[in-house]
This record gives sequence, C-alpha cells and structure tokens, in this order.
Amino acid sequence: MEYERILSASGPTGGHLVRLSDKKEPKKIAWLQCIGSRDMNRCDNAYCSAVCCMYAIKEAVISKEHSGDDLDCAIFFMDMRTHGKEFERYYDNAKTKKGIRFIRSRVHTINPVQGTDDLEVRYVTEDGRILNETFDMIVLSVGLEIPKEIVELSKKLNIELTSSKFSKTGTFKPVDSSRKGIYVCGAFQGPKDIPQAVVDASAAAAAAGEILSSARNTLTKKPEIIPEIDVMGDRPRIGVFVCKCGINIAGVVNVPDVSKYAETLPYVEYATDNLFSCSQDTQDKMAQLIKEKGLNRVVVAACTPKTHEPLFQETLKNAGINKYLFEMANIRNHDSWVHKDSPEAATEKAKDLVRMAVAKVAMLQPLKEAELQVNQTALVIGGGISGLVAAKTLSNQGYESHIVEKDSTLGGQAKSIYKTTTNEIVADELKQLINDVTTDSKIHVHLNTTIKKVDGFVGNFQTTLVGNATETVIPHGVTIMATGASAYKPSEYEFGKDSRIITSLDLDQKLINHDPMLKQLQSAVFIQCVGSRENNRLYCSRVCCTHSIHNAIELKELNPNMDIYILYRDIRTYGERELLYRKARDLGVIFIRYSVNNKPSVAIQNGKMSISVTDHVLNRPIIIETDLLTLASALIPNPAEDLAQFFKLPLNEDGFFVERHAKLGPSEFATDGVFLCGTAHYPKPIDESIAQAKAAASRAVTLLARKNIFTSGQVAFINPVNCSSCGICISICPYSAPSFIEKGPFTGKAQINPVLCKGCGLCVASCRSGAIHHNGYDNGQIFNQLFAITELPN
Amino acid sequence: MADWEPKIVSFFCNWCTYGAADLAGVGRMQYPPYFRVVRIPCTGRMHPKFFLSALREGVDGVWVSG
Repeated sequence: MEYERILSASGPTGGHLVRLSDKKEPKKIAWLQCIGSRDMNRCDNAYCSAVCCMYAIKEAVISKEHSGDDLDCAIFFMDMRTHGKEFERYYDNAKTKKGIRFIRSRVHTINPVQGTDDLEVRYVTEDGRILNETFDMIVLSVGLEIPKEIVELSKKLNIELTSSKFSKTGTFKPVDSSRKGIYVCGAFQGPKDIPQAVVDASAAAAAAGEILSSARNTLTKKPEIIPEIDVMGDRPRIGVFVCKCGINIAGVVNVPDVSKYAETLPYVEYATDNLFSCSQDTQDKMAQLIKEKGLNRVVVAACTPKTHEPLFQETLKNAGINKYLFEMANIRNHDSWVHKDSPEAATEKAKDLVRMAVAKVAMLQPLKEAELQVNQTALVIGGGISGLVAAKTLSNQGYESHIVEKDSTLGGQAKSIYKTTTNEIVADELKQLINDVTTDSKIHVHLNTTIKKVDGFVGNFQTTLVGNATETVIPHGVTIMATGASAYKPSEYEFGKDSRIITSLDLDQKLINHDPMLKQLQSAVFIQCVGSRENNRLYCSRVCCTHSIHNAIELKELNPNMDIYILYRDIRTYGERELLYRKARDLGVIFIRYSVNNKPSVAIQNGKMSISVTDHVLNRPIIIETDLLTLASALIPNPAEDLAQFFKLPLNEDGFFVERHAKLGPSEFATDGVFLCGTAHYPKPIDESIAQAKAAASRAVTLLARKNIFTSGQVAFINPVNCSSCGICISICPYSAPSFIEKGPFTGKAQINPVLCKGCGLCVASCRSGAIHHNGYDNGQIFNQLFAITELPN
Repeated sequence: MADWEPKIVSFFCNWCTYGAADLAGVGRMQYPPYFRVVRIPCTGRMHPKFFLSALREGVDGVWVSG
C-alpha cells in the first residue's frame, strides 16, 4: 500500500520513484510475498490473502514502465496465484516480455548493508542452496486481515466468524451472514480483489432487495418537472460561467480576465465567475440567473464534461432550458492542471476554449430524448446454478423471467459435482434450488430450447426460441447471460486409453455413487493444470487446485493408508481454501511440483500404470505406480458465438464473455440491458457463481425497477430527401441502428432508430450524400468551433 | 525556429483520448499549451472536411486520437 502511494502522482514524491530514506532512485527492487499470509509461525493467518501476487506483479510492471528497463524487479514467492481473469496472461507477459524475475523461495532474513541504505536478502532456493542478493528497496506484500474493531462489532451484532475471522457464509448463500437480515460483502467475507468485491456488493444489494421488495417505491418522491421553454428560432442568448474550482483553476488561469473576455464574444449576454460551480448554492444561483437574464444557452468553463456535464444539464432543466443547449470548456483537466508553469499561455488557452465553446453552443438546438417503456420480464440464458439463482433472485424481487436451457434438465455442471469445499452435498442443494425454481409461478422454464433470433433493444427485446420443433417469441426487457463452461476433455496423459485415467468430474461421480473401488485404492495421483495455463489456453481454471485437494482429502478419509500424490505447477488455494491445502498436507498427501517444460508422463505396462515426474526438491525423476490417475482438466466456456452476435457482446480470445469493466462492471455488458454471471464470465466455484448471479439480477433490477428509460438525444438522423439509398450507413453501423424504410413516401430510403443509435457518428462521416446529421455534433456545429480557433495568440 | 509555437487542433474521442487527457490532468502531467481540443463522440465521426477546414483556418497540425 505504501509503495502504491509512492507510485501515485498524488503521492508523497509526486509519482517519482525514489527511496524515501535518501531520495535515491532505486535500481533493484524486491517484492516479498506472503507476509502475514499462509503463515502460522509469525502470525496466525493460515489463509492466503488472494490478491497480493497480482498486486506485486502489477507494481513491478508499473515500476518498470516508470523507470525504464534498467530497473531490476524480483518477486520472491511460494506459489504464484494469478487465478483471476486475464491475470495469467499478465503474469506470463511480466515474466517473458517485461523481464521481471520470479524467484520461488521463502526469504529467510533481511540484513542492512553497512554504510548504505541497501538491504541484503538471504534466501534458500528450491534445490537447497543459500543465496544472498542486495536490493535498494524491498516491498513487503502484506496480506489482508480483519481489524480488531470489526471482530468486536461482529460480536455485538452476533455474527459468526470463521477461524480466520472472516464472516461465516455458506457456499449457496455467499452474502448471508449467520444472522438473518445481515448481509456481507467485500473482504469481510474473505480476502478478495476489486471485481469480486464489486460482485459481492451487488449480490448483497440483491439479497437486501429480496426481503424489502414489498416496500419498493413506498417512500419515493417524484421530482417536480419544470416545463421547458421553447427557444427554437430565438436569437442565442448565451450565459458563460467560468469556474475557479477553488485554486485548481484560479491558481493558474486568470479567471476574471477570462470571464471579462467571454462578455465580448458574439451572442454572450452574461458572463461571470464562480468559486465552485458545482456546489449546490452556485447551481441554484445559476438557475436563477438563467431565468433572470433570459439566457437560452449556457457554457460552463470548468472541469471535464465526463464527470460534470450531467450535473450542469440538470441545472438547465431546473431553469426550464433544454439540457442539450449546453457546452463545457475544459479549462481544468486540459489547461490549468497541465500548464501550471505557464499561467499566461494557460489563460490564453482558456479564452480560446471558451470562444470555441461559445461558437458551438450558439449552433446547438434543443433535442428530444426517446422515452422507452421497459418490459418487466427477464430472459435468462442457461439453466445451470447461475441461471437458476438469477431467475430466483428476480422472482423474489417480484419480476418474471424465462430460463432457456439447451439441455433436457436443469442444473448444468453442478449435477456432476459431489461436495462443496465446506462439505455441503451439491446434489441436495441443487435439488432444492431446482424445486424452488420449477414451482415458482414467476419463472418459466424452457428445456431443450435454443435461441434462433433476437430483435429489439434494451427494455424491448423480442427473442425467438426454438424448442421441440416449435418457435416462440418472448418479449423481455433485460437479458442475463449464464451460458456457463464445461470440463475440457483431455487429449494428453493417455486419457481415454485406460479406465483408470479419469477427470476430476469422473472422480466426483465415483464419490457420489460411493463406488467401492475407491476404498480399495493403494495409490492415487492427481495431475493439475491439464489444458490450463499453457499454449492457446493461457488462463488458470481457478477451481481445479481446490477441487483436487478436496477430493484427495475425501480419499484419505475413505482410506487413510492410501498414498496420494498431487502433481502441480502452483497450488492456487486462494483465500480460506488454503486451510484445505494445509489439511491435505497434514493428512499426508504428497505434493510434487512439475514444470510446464517437463511434464509428467504416463506409462501402462502389463496392466500396471506408472507416472514419472521430476521431483522439484530432489531434482531427479521419480516413478509412481498408481491405481487411479485423476486429471484436473480445464474449464472451457460453452460456445456462445451466436449469442454474442445476437446481443452484440464481445468474447475474449479464450471464448469467455467480456464484461463492461474488468473491475467496476463485472456482471454487466457494455450493451445496455444485458448482464453476465457464472462461468461464462470466467471459471469460478459455486459460491462465486451464485454471488455473481445475484449481482447480475441486482444490476438488471436497476433497469426493471424503472418503468421507462430515456435514451440520449445526441444521435444521428437522416434527411430522407437527400438519401441516395446506397446502404453504406446500414452496412457500417456497429449497432444496427439504420434500416431502409419499408412503407410510405420515402420507401427505400434509410432511417435511424434513435433508440439503437449510440451517437458515434460513423454513418454521418461516411454518408456520401450528406443526408445524415448528428444531433449535438453536426457539421455546422463542429465547423463553427473550428472557425473560432483562428484567434490563437501569436 | 526556437520561439516558434505551433497551433494544433486535437480531435479527441469522447470515450478514450478525451478521458485520457482528463487523466493526464489528474496526474498533473505537464505539456506545452499548443493544443485546442475538439471533443467528438467517436473518431468515426471524423470527416475529411474537418481536417481541411482546420488547416484553412491556419492551424499547423491536426491530431486525431481515439
């Protein structure tokens, strides 16, 4: 965390990477992993903090980018745990392209080097050699733990905690604390990174929404709607408000000078400056001034429209002015902040930007937003655990849904899983969930059904389902993608050639059936990362380490004398799953690490199966005779290209769906009204799938709870008189917004559906007939802005 | 040439470069004050006429980024 601050531009050194003790620029930095995690000697934190491996790699990469390739970055680690989405690629890139050194070892001591501020690291390599290396700086990857006050608070609230002091939750109720009506999210539930915390937060909101659904809209107040003044055809009367933003702008730009200059510009009726334009009292004052001075267009010269445009547009609305008669001049982020040493030039630039904004706003016209009714039904694609939970969550909040499942039964992959890591029997929980869903009058299940066609858009989709040779059209307002993933069928390790070589799910099946052969086994071997973390599947399947270890424990409990070997690359039992890893070792399960360049091999001779692997400690090959070989095969996404195309959703190179934002929008798509959960997003265990299913439902409810939505007014429109019916706009639009008119006087000409249009302007620039115009960014408006550029200071 | 200051008009996509320029501000990165940004909804909106018009207005360079 301290190192993050040093790297930050707003940190103590202004983003300059120096050693704090003597301000020297470091040439060699070491990261030490698992400080305060996976450690029972120096602290009582047996769990893995789950996030530090990735943080350390990120910090090392950023440091290299900051200080150049000469900087030597070394990460000392035990197991590299890059089990998150796109993390394995990042790790691989750091290792192979960025030249970051990854040293598998546990550091023994750090000694100061006499007479300098350098530090000497003493560590033992895997083959037992003791080495010393000197670094300028050492970053400790300190793990996460629950503060004392939170433990006390939990006692007061009567919430049960785990042995690691995280809130106790169940696999099937991942955000429910032990006390009814209290929900948990984020790192209090277990150590986790941002995407997972965001998923949890939405899931907890959904859980709270479920029990509060009867109270929905009982305490809401309707905002007063101020009638809009019609300014169409009126001469522009522009008001310019120049913001000081405290000293953020006024500290560099001469704000009174800019506002005085603005008064001289054409059509400007009034100009003034504000200390903080965004404060509530200034907003009220601006609305008052707009009315008093009869202004019909407004320019605010302040910060960035990306964050503040909606706020000022609200002010316009409150003053009865169409919110699109507004323009911002960005004189903070693009001016005062980046030219702090040239106040005069910055003031000139501010004047130019104001002049350009005034020129543009004069040309703007009031725009209308299309109002859409939101169909209150959801379509859930996929009837696995995620899909079922999503539908059930929606139903508990009062919304109807349709589940589409291509298979003949519900349950998906969960049907093949024996127990959760906390020993809940999956089949029992699944049976209950399926029963809850099938008896719910608000949930309609379509089995043996696929999707043929999708029409419409957010709030009003029409999806054609094909099932049992009949087609049905389902109207729905939102869609939840829960298409899942399946186990990879290995082609390696002699799989399929001997009945003793099986996958993890095959072993689960044997455990479910209480197969008597399991008790008879003398020896069992597990091979990890089968089909994961290599070649064209450069991702970690996240669930397999815990799955194999859990099954190894099951086997040990069936027959404590069984010899069990787990051949792995890195053990990735993140969070409290680490406790299982410890338990397996205590029970005598033997872990042997292999390298991706030197994989184990399987030989079957005279009915005997033997596996040969190079032991990482002895550094010589050993041969294990075994009765059962379990391959922890990768999770691969179910094919979803058709669906991706129907709903215009991106897939990554591994075939998983790409969410709206990797950190902040993990359960939704950039496409409005479509949401994402479960293993279609990335491999994940049941508890995380359920949390994300609840999160997707929660995000969907934010749309469903509104009866209607407004689209942006800044869209393209076609003047059919000028249209030459060439079809260019139809072929290039990424959103399928343009189409040919089928009836009436303009048959054969193009039109644009303002609801589908995202306002990118691609068609406007491509139209060879000049028939397409852009509301808010039309040619005339941009030209006027350009014509105003000429008064650049010379 | 040492004192020569170019005039450059920058067409920035609202979704990426415009936001990046905002972030450059947040990070207090310093650069010469020669640019005037025109915010466009997407670089797909860029029309050859905008280049020509800007050059005709006397700017020394046009920068499109998105």
